[in-house]
Amino acid sequence: MEDPQADSPVSFLPHLEAKIRQTHNLARLLTKYAEQLLEEYVQQQGDPFGLPGFSPPRLSLAGLSGPSPSHMGLPLSERLRQDAAALDALPGLLDAVRRRQAELNPSSPRLLRNLEDAARQARALGVAVETVLAALGSAARGPGPEPAATTALSTANNAAGIFSAKVLGLHVCGLYGEWVNRTEGDLSQLVPGDVA
Amino acid sequence: MSESRVAEFGFFTKDRTACFRLTAPHTAMGAYSWWKEPSWMVDSKRRRMTPNWPWLLSALTLLQVNAVQAHSLKRGSAQDLKCTTKNMQVWDCTWTAPVGVSPGTVKEVCIKDRLNSCHRLESTNIKIAALSPGDHEVAINYLNGFQSKFTLNENDVSLIPDTPESLDLSADFSTSTLHLRWNDRGSAFPYPCNATWEIKVLQNPSMELVKLVSFNTTLSGRDIVHHWNWTSDLPLQCATHSVGIRWYIDYNRFSGYKVWSDWSPLKNVSWTPNSETNVFPQDKVILAGSDITFCCVSQTKVLSGQIGKTFCPLIHLYGENVAIHIRNISVSENSGTNVVFTTEDNVYGTVVFAGYPPDIPQKLNCETHDFKEIICSWNPGRPTGLVGPRNTDYTLSESISGKSVPFKRFETLTNESYRLAFQMLPGQEIHNFTLTGRNPLGHAESAVFINITERVAPHVPVSLRVKDISSTVVTLSWHLPGNFAKINLLCQVEICKASSEREVRNATIKGAEESSYLVAVDKLNPYTLYTFRVRCSTETFWKWSKWSNEKRHLTTEAIPSRGPDTWREWSSDGKNLIIYWKPLPINEANGKILSYNVSCSSNEETQSLSEILDPQHRAEIQLEKSDYIISVVAKNSAGSSPPSKIASMEIPNDDIIVEQAVGMGKRIFLSWHPDPNMTCDYVIKWCNSSRSEPCLMDWIKVPSNSTKTVIESDQFQPGVRYNFYLYGCTNQGYQLLRSIIGYIEELAPIVAPNFTVEDTSADSILVKWEDIPVEELRGFLRGYLFYFQKGERDTPKTRTFETGHSDIKLKNITDISQKTLRIADLQGKTSYHLVLRAYTHGGLGPEKSMFVVTKENSVGLIIAILIPVAVAVIVGVVTSILCYRKREWIKETFYPDIPNPENCKALQFQKSICEGSSALKTLEMNPCTPNNVEVLESRSIVPKIEDTEIISPVAERPGESSEADPENHVVVSYCPPIIEEEIANPAADEVGGTSQVVYIDVQSMYQPQAKPEEEQGIDPGVVAAYKPQMRLPINSAVEDFAAAEDEADKTAGYRPQANVNTWNLVSPDSPRSTDSNSEIVSFGSPCSINSRQFLIPPKDEDSPKSNGGGWSFTNFFQNKPND
Repeated sequence: MEDPQADSPVSFLPHLEAKIRQTHNLARLLTKYAEQLLEEYVQQQGDPFGLPGFSPPRLSLAGLSGPSPSHMGLPLSERLRQDAAALDALPGLLDAVRRRQAELNPSSPRLLRNLEDAARQARALGVAVETVLAALGSAARGPGPEPAATTALSTANNAAGIFSAKVLGLHVCGLYGEWVNRTEGDLSQLVPGDVA
Repeated sequence: MSESRVAEFGFFTKDRTACFRLTAPHTAMGAYSWWKEPSWMVDSKRRRMTPNWPWLLSALTLLQVNAVQAHSLKRGSAQDLKCTTKNMQVWDCTWTAPVGVSPGTVKEVCIKDRLNSCHRLESTNIKIAALSPGDHEVAINYLNGFQSKFTLNENDVSLIPDTPESLDLSADFSTSTLHLRWNDRGSAFPYPCNATWEIKVLQNPSMELVKLVSFNTTLSGRDIVHHWNWTSDLPLQCATHSVGIRWYIDYNRFSGYKVWSDWSPLKNVSWTPNSETNVFPQDKVILAGSDITFCCVSQTKVLSGQIGKTFCPLIHLYGENVAIHIRNISVSENSGTNVVFTTEDNVYGTVVFAGYPPDIPQKLNCETHDFKEIICSWNPGRPTGLVGPRNTDYTLSESISGKSVPFKRFETLTNESYRLAFQMLPGQEIHNFTLTGRNPLGHAESAVFINITERVAPHVPVSLRVKDISSTVVTLSWHLPGNFAKINLLCQVEICKASSEREVRNATIKGAEESSYLVAVDKLNPYTLYTFRVRCSTETFWKWSKWSNEKRHLTTEAIPSRGPDTWREWSSDGKNLIIYWKPLPINEANGKILSYNVSCSSNEETQSLSEILDPQHRAEIQLEKSDYIISVVAKNSAGSSPPSKIASMEIPNDDIIVEQAVGMGKRIFLSWHPDPNMTCDYVIKWCNSSRSEPCLMDWIKVPSNSTKTVIESDQFQPGVRYNFYLYGCTNQGYQLLRSIIGYIEELAPIVAPNFTVEDTSADSILVKWEDIPVEELRGFLRGYLFYFQKGERDTPKTRTFETGHSDIKLKNITDISQKTLRIADLQGKTSYHLVLRAYTHGGLGPEKSMFVVTKENSVGLIIAILIPVAVAVIVGVVTSILCYRKREWIKETFYPDIPNPENCKALQFQKSICEGSSALKTLEMNPCTPNNVEVLESRSIVPKIEDTEIISPVAERPGESSEADPENHVVVSYCPPIIEEEIANPAADEVGGTSQVVYIDVQSMYQPQAKPEEEQGIDPGVVAAYKPQMRLPINSAVEDFAAAEDEADKTAGYRPQANVNTWNLVSPDSPRSTDSNSEIVSFGSPCSINSRQFLIPPKDEDSPKSNGGGWSFTNFFQNKPND
């Protein structure tokens, strides 16, 4: 397949266009959900989480990091491949966060449900992006072994203290929002008539 | 919580104390040496008492050398000998060689009371086996022959154990706990003996003593390893901690000194930092309300430390390490309380969970529902504030069986009640349960000891079924899950009728395993809808099960238990007998009544009527007036009821007095005297009195032994008259005993009685009224109220009768048979307002009013006229008589003699003036055109003058003057006889006025003179009559008069008005009369020469008469003295 180098929308087959639009709508919807998840997560961790001056440094998760500033400079297909890879790694991370939160906040079913939903939705969005990529002729990375990030987080969850786990969870929820947002932005460039 | 805090404060206090105690042994020893010194000196003095002076010198030398050796010697012993022991078995003695003697010259040391007690040696130190208690003489021989002797006693030996050696010092950094392990080497000591240990903890790098603790152990003759744990307040990660130990042995058979051992070498515990964790303690669970210290190990400067959102002051440890101390920490939220340290480039943190240990499980209750498992429930009590892995774990243990069951927690479980199932073991009835709750902060437990057969709360009975046995008996069956084979069940059956009447019956049933149970329920009513439900317990009652589901059941029908209540009435024409009966109540109908059979029988025959279906409760039979017995039978699907019978014969009602009764609410109370002749029931029937015959609303039967009853019916309405009939029942039939009319409640009449006026006279009115119909009376008539008062129709005053108005007269007519009323003592030809109202106990009815005018009273009128006339006549006659008798006095008073004016020369002058017209007695001259001239008749001048001395200056009636000339009517008044004559004056008419000559009798002027001033005052403008100059100064015209008087004074005599120039001819018609509204105008008439005023001779100027001129009040009073 020819790499859709051009970042401008192109004419697709109707079913592809519908798929892109559907995926884009999903990403846009998940953007709002991610904001709600982050808000709910912060609210359940206690102070100073959520206070204006509290901003713990980003923790590095092996295999997953936030979208780099140079992300926008990459070709669209590469960006989508990165989006798909990140969305593939996020469900495991979100599940790990949910498990830890189930111990910390067992009586907060909404947070646990949101985390569970976020993992499922991230997985669905990742699959959708991969489908779009496949339709565009750009093969995404296949489902590999468990992402390193998940392993790292699980290890950190067990070994590190609860505070670190909280910060990690915050980081994962933030990453989820960033990648969903970035995916939405990348997909928007594929949607005819929806160029930012 | 507070205890813990106090304990920690105590810890710090001890530490501080320990800081002093670190040096205390030395100090104590020093003090002890100082204290022992005098004792030793005393001993030295005693030693001086001995005759061995060289030895004494040697001893003194030793004393000087070993002055600081405190407790080694006893009295009389060598001062430089010091013996110690580590285990009370071997004494280690050292001494100092005397001055001048080399320590290597020691030859031997001999103990006197021991065999082979000399020990060869070449030093000043010797180890000897412990000596027995008591003094022992020791001699030290030197090579040079010098010998030192002294007494050695166990009391002088110091027991200084070896320095303890700690085997191991470890740290649990997660809990900040130090673990110390050491061997007491008890095998080296006699046993039992006590050992006191002292352990110190120092915090690096300042080596600050943070803990000093002592405790006792007992040496048992064996080597024993001891443990000591200590939890640091400051996390061990934040500073290196060092631990040392020493000990002290107290053996009661050793009488020497006991001295602390030396401190063991310090052992250190330090933490190797890693990059992951920098804040300690990590994820600690602590008691809410306690204090805690968090530290942060950092290579960079820590900017702040906070718990939650509260920033805390930093405590600098060493390097960049800092700590914060939290006091009285509050219960954490679910996810814990965050503790955060912020450095220049990072954020580190930890989470602390502050909560409570488990509360003692409350209301622990264990029971079984089915003898298969025991359900224990409890209330956890105070919330711990800890969730997730830190939540309380409960374990239920049964001590007899040794089984334990953990409690599986569901996080959504509320704190209200927890339940846990324990599987029963076959054959075990007694159970001893212990429930233990445990969380990181502690544990609590609660126990219960039960016999499970006494703690049975069965499950809810299920599958409840009802089966008919008869119309009054059913069986109930149900299933009760569980194994109750060894006990009896106690069950309750609740029976509920449709009328909400509830009955509970108990039944004891032998229990079975997984069985259904059956009970019979009897004494039910036929054809009745019942609702059954069941619950069970055991004979050894503990709890009832819940009620089973309800089961509704209708019992089967039975024949009606009795015949219906019957009554009969003859039709109005007397040809038909109407049979009434009442439907049977459901408890007597015993089923659904389908129909009724009515039959009548006489001696000859029995006539059965057709079957009458249920809704109808009435039958009409055409019978002759012979005696019949009427039977009524009710039928349902189960059969027929016994017949109800009633005779058809007429009921005599002779000589019955109708009585009255009033009820209350919807009830009316009736009573009667007992009558032994009444052998069967009484019957009371009633009907609306306005209904036509046969009248029957309802009836009731009352037992024959009753003498009263209360009749109640929803059909009763207030204000409606009902007839009640009480019948007594004898063997010969019914007999009317009482007839009563009554109201449930009396109301006020709704109409007014219709009344008319039958007769009217001048002083009375007879009214008549009619009865009010019963339907409109609405109560028993108690009387009438009749009001009347004077009044016309439509006069507001009489429209309504105001209460208490004094004019209203009221008559209360309580004799209701009275239908007429005569109202007397009225006024003739007067309108009266009559009002009539009827009243009952319910109140006053509306009013009806009428206006009636009484006739005229002619006699009174006549009397009213005659009496004033008679009085006037009598007064006149009396006055005439009086005047007649006093006529002389009157004449003197009112008519004194007047001089004859004929003698006056002025009259001659008058004649010459008036010569041209002899007929005229007055002069009318131009421009004077008077409208009205009063002329004094001159035909009989002399007599008249004599009779008319009094002259009214003004004799005018305003009314007459206005009629004569409404504009300006000038009247020249004179005093002629009262001859009034109107003379036409064409000349005057031509000038627009009429000339009127009025002759006024002087005598008639007497009365008007009474108020001359008032009349002038009323209308001075109108009174413009002749005014003689002699008038009293009453008004402004007097000024003119005064001027004339002045002129008269100048002339000094009478000055007739002949001087026409002085006349003031002012007339309304005169051209000079410019102002018709001007003040009183004096009119000087030329004819006034005829006036008597002019005729008064001036010679009488001095006299009042002549001076005053004419009649006046003054004159009147002046004349009075002459009377």
